[in-house]
Amino acid sequence: MFRIIKELDIKFMEIRKIPLILSSLLLAVSILSIVIKGFNFGIDFSSGYIVQLKFDNKVTVIDVQDKLSKNNLTDSTVQLYGSSKEILIKLKDEEIFKKTNINNYLKKIFNDTSFKITKLEYVGAQVGSELREKGEWAMLIALFSILIYIALRFELIYGLGAISALIHDVIITLGFFSFFNLTFDLSVLAAVLAVIGYSLNDSIVVFDRIRENNIILRKLSIFAVLNKSINQTLSRTLVTSFTTMLVIISLLIFGGNAVENFSIAMLVGILIGTYSSIFIASTSLSYFGIKRPEEN
Amino acid sequence: MYKYPTWKYILVLLVLSYAVIYSLPNFYNTYPSIQVNTFDKKEVDSLNLQQLSEDNKISNIGIDGNNLFFNSIDDQLNAYNKLIKLPSYQFTLSNYNHIPKWLSTINANPVSLGLDLKGGVHFLLQIDSDNVKKSRFTQLENNLRNFFIDNGIRYNTFFTDADSVTFKLNKDSIDPEVLDTLNENFSDYQITTLKSEGGMDISATLSQESFQNDIKASMKKNLAILRSRVNELGVSQPIIQQQGKNRIIVQLPGLQDSTRAKTILGSTATLEFRLTRGSPDDWSQSEAIGTNTISESLLYRHKNGSPVLLSRDVIASGKDIEGANSGFDGQTNQPAVFVNLSSYGASNMLDTTSKNIGNRMAVVFVEQDKNQVINIATIREAFSKRFQITGLDLQEAKDLAILLRSGSLSAPMTIVEERTVGPSLGSENIISGRDSMLLGMILVILFMFIYYKKFGLIANIALIFNILIITATLALFQATLTLSGIAGIVLTVGMAVDANVLIYERIREEILNGNSPNASIISGYNKAFSTISDANITTLIAAIALLTIGTGVVKGFAVTLVIGILSSMFTAIVGTRALVSFIYENKNNKGLSI
Repeated sequence: MFRIIKELDIKFMEIRKIPLILSSLLLAVSILSIVIKGFNFGIDFSSGYIVQLKFDNKVTVIDVQDKLSKNNLTDSTVQLYGSSKEILIKLKDEEIFKKTNINNYLKKIFNDTSFKITKLEYVGAQVGSELREKGEWAMLIALFSILIYIALRFELIYGLGAISALIHDVIITLGFFSFFNLTFDLSVLAAVLAVIGYSLNDSIVVFDRIRENNIILRKLSIFAVLNKSINQTLSRTLVTSFTTMLVIISLLIFGGNAVENFSIAMLVGILIGTYSSIFIASTSLSYFGIKRPEEN
Repeated sequence: MYKYPTWKYILVLLVLSYAVIYSLPNFYNTYPSIQVNTFDKKEVDSLNLQQLSEDNKISNIGIDGNNLFFNSIDDQLNAYNKLIKLPSYQFTLSNYNHIPKWLSTINANPVSLGLDLKGGVHFLLQIDSDNVKKSRFTQLENNLRNFFIDNGIRYNTFFTDADSVTFKLNKDSIDPEVLDTLNENFSDYQITTLKSEGGMDISATLSQESFQNDIKASMKKNLAILRSRVNELGVSQPIIQQQGKNRIIVQLPGLQDSTRAKTILGSTATLEFRLTRGSPDDWSQSEAIGTNTISESLLYRHKNGSPVLLSRDVIASGKDIEGANSGFDGQTNQPAVFVNLSSYGASNMLDTTSKNIGNRMAVVFVEQDKNQVINIATIREAFSKRFQITGLDLQEAKDLAILLRSGSLSAPMTIVEERTVGPSLGSENIISGRDSMLLGMILVILFMFIYYKKFGLIANIALIFNILIITATLALFQATLTLSGIAGIVLTVGMAVDANVLIYERIREEILNGNSPNASIISGYNKAFSTISDANITTLIAAIALLTIGTGVVKGFAVTLVIGILSSMFTAIVGTRALVSFIYENKNNKGLSI
């Protein structure tokens, strides 16, 4: 038997103040960043154009920026993308594109070099705000239906515990994107929702064991039950997080730019999710006042 | 040891063979291809492919029936751009693969790839509701005006606001009988009267329901028009469908450049035929002084920028055109559009041209508020139904013919969302998706083997079958695989082993507690069962919430995640259990390799 984790008896309950302080700090920073700084929304949730151009010859960012601003496209960001022949341009939804479509306008701007449009994404203002609204709804519906399921399957107190861990994970993941000014687009939303599912999966496994031990180990104190349950499931928690981490890292390496933000969100979410299912979900049960069976 | 039921073994075998057979078509190579439709039953060979491939350095063009297939997308597009210049053929960008017949007959096809993987254009178009309302009100104004004139009612003025048209009458009363007829004739509207200073206001208000019906009718017509336009763009398996009340999704796989599609789809362009007024001198003079020197004339601009005076009367316009084709003028060999007029348009045209031999007629290209004279020609003889228009380049002639054939949109449609991925980026995305999946799988498989030995191998077999089940299910239901879908599969790979990890950790605990190997296996599986189902059902709830967002990226991810969760539950609870039972059942096991 090859085991990373041998018989363990970590006193999680006795040190529960430490993760509590750490999480409070992380949550405070995240919430402050979200409120004050907000998100760097991608065009999915704001509106505008993203165009990826592949030139036959080398180009420089300054040169491209110069040409754009000469053609009244001042509010743009330009970056090299992959090679020195490819660039990515972000543009606002300019009035001029209603008259001349953007494809022809770009051909006019870069008429001295030949290029191909490898990617073009446009989201109109109305569609952007609709997508954002739908995203918020999906998140709320997911949280709520999960709360109901756990409350039915376990007891309400477990539902509250799982949801606190979940909200903790989601806020910190969102805070990470806000704090580091990473682009928040549809794929990141998908990742956040996946993290909701994942983090829950983790908490449920521990809760399941707590429920079981709470009945079997009648002689122990509730703290001892919680400690033992976390310790018993610790190797599973770490093994699963590790395998998931392996594939996300390979997505980051080979997945290309299109899934980069997705992978980052998943990576952060799973790290936080693993931490919270060990240190937050179960300890929160003690704060919510979990009872022994005979006390019921 | 407890005997594992035979029906469960059979179930596992059935699912396995389903997974293998339906994922099989994905292992055959798919080539970018061009479908050739000949109008005059010529053989494909006569396209002179040898020449084409030598001229353009295209290696190996394969032929199967009317499919030409290529080694790369660049070759395909290169050839396509050359081929579409040939008249009397129609070419469609497509994909080709050599799947054996028996697979196709049982409906086993490769997974259909999303536009981000095979390249193409996605548009979301929205109908201009204001325009629908505007044209409805213009009609209403005319009808009301005629009604008042017919009934001898005088009015001072009328105006239109958000949802009603109001006429200000001179008199402060109206004959009740006339009011009844008015109500009857305009039953779609709510008619209200209001006494005002020195007269009376009569308003007709458009009900929301009736306006929605207008939108519905316009959408229906536009959908049909877009369909016929898309069919002319030469892509295989385009998707055109209504979304919500006022939007239409158009997806054009394989298209490399959205420019032309954009010009054609949203276009409200049509033609008008008018006689010119005055001479070129009058035209430039009128422009210089700013007023028209000829009465009853309108100032237009030629494509080359010069001014033209045209008659106010339209001889024929887009709605009189029944058919249009592009081709070449027989004498000058210039690109031309051949137009067929309806009988009403044709008699008008005959009437006008026979009276105006020697005069000039202009063809005006009309698009929303933009008018442009594309051609002015002297009428040499009277003509009616069929004639040709020159003065355009080949592409313009082709596009105009498409627009005239499909008819004009009943209300303008604007693009509110576009996602275009070039085919080369698409194949890059496939490669990055495949590579990340392979690396992820290899890492997980290695880890599982090192950590759980023989049981790790069993979990790995389950993992591979998981991927096959997901692939087969995607293919069978013709769900679209996108890059985010691949991300979903990759994530499933990581999470799929979770169910096995839960079981194995339980078995280990049981062994450490001193239980016999066989008893440990049984109680490991049994005790892990409720945990696995609780954990997976909650994840499933989150995935279904994702599905409700229903938009491209998120949906693609959610679909594979849902299938992945279900299949990983099956492979762990039933699949590996069967394998474990098969190996360890009825044996006196001394220890387990776990």
